[in-house]
Amino acid sequence: MFSFLSKFQHKKEMRESKDEILVGEIVRVMARLGNPAIGFSANMGKQSIRFKPTRDTLLFSIVITLDRKTGGTAIQEALIGSKATLTIQTNVKNYIADPDDLIQMYKTDVQNILKVPILGGIRLDHQINTVFATKQVIIDIGKHIPKDEKGVERLSQFLVEHINELRNKLAPYKKW
Amino acid sequence: MSEALEKVFVSLVEKSWDKYYERIHHKYLDDMLVGAVIASNVEMGYSLIDLNSDGVNHYLRFEHLPSKKRLIFQLTNLTEDIVSAKVLGKHARVVIGYGQMISNVGKIWQAFKAEVKSGLLDKGEPGVITFDADVTSGYIYAQVPLILDLEQYFEGKYKINHPLLEKHISAVTHSLAKYLAGRLGA
Repeated sequence: MFSFLSKFQHKKEMRESKDEILVGEIVRVMARLGNPAIGFSANMGKQSIRFKPTRDTLLFSIVITLDRKTGGTAIQEALIGSKATLTIQTNVKNYIADPDDLIQMYKTDVQNILKVPILGGIRLDHQINTVFATKQVIIDIGKHIPKDEKGVERLSQFLVEHINELRNKLAPYKKW
Repeated sequence: MSEALEKVFVSLVEKSWDKYYERIHHKYLDDMLVGAVIASNVEMGYSLIDLNSDGVNHYLRFEHLPSKKRLIFQLTNLTEDIVSAKVLGKHARVVIGYGQMISNVGKIWQAFKAEVKSGLLDKGEPGVITFDADVTSGYIYAQVPLILDLEQYFEGKYKINHPLLEKHISAVTHSLAKYLAGRLGA
């Protein structure tokens, strides 16, 4: 009985749970969009969630990673807010892949090798039969936590916008 | 002839992917339940404040920010491999806890007295309601382990029956709140 509660991190202040609150809202918004969560990875200040797009025949999965950079202390929170990087990665999977595809993909990988998916840039990577598109944005966690239904709608639009941008980059690589 | 053989090849690949999906679906089932519990609780007005996992057990903590009431969950997939899932069904052990903030520490210990005397520590059997406290944050919890059939919460591979899940969570937390109120009143 007593070990169950000890599994939690016992954050002293709600400020320290802001990233988890946003993760919960992202999971709710993605579920509404028909993308249920199918995988979780959580460490101190960094949460990664894998979603299955059930209404999209092109995308295989979406991974959203929230990595909190600031705001762990009251001083940081007051001075610079709770800044985090939000990494969105989508991928398409081709059900039949052959060596020629891999050679073609290798060329784009070389072009992408120095690209950093930060500040709006999109990076493409290939792994055998899967093509990944990754984008990273810096956000203020507090500003993205919805306070009402309108806030939920805004978070939904924010995610849909970025996912669609990545989806468009991946569309040419999907073999039907 | 060649076209017919190619069609057979494509169908073999497609069937292989179906089997592949079936296998990974079982692997992801507990994570899917974690996602469903998060989405349902957030829809019911709770905020996720803690998410932790050791790979087998998943721990979730929520708070209803206006009232400061808390819910805690421990989820464990009991039938992770495909063979046992097919034979036994898809089962998960779920411990649900309901917590209230108590400013009077003395009241917490008072509530625990009977617990310690009776030695009712966790036996892991379903339906045994126990009480636990997080003295640093001033919360006392009533909690109960259950074994749930996961099939009832999934309609198809990825569609989740949120209304049923929300109904079950509400029913359990309502009862735990009554037990906790009874214990604190005692």
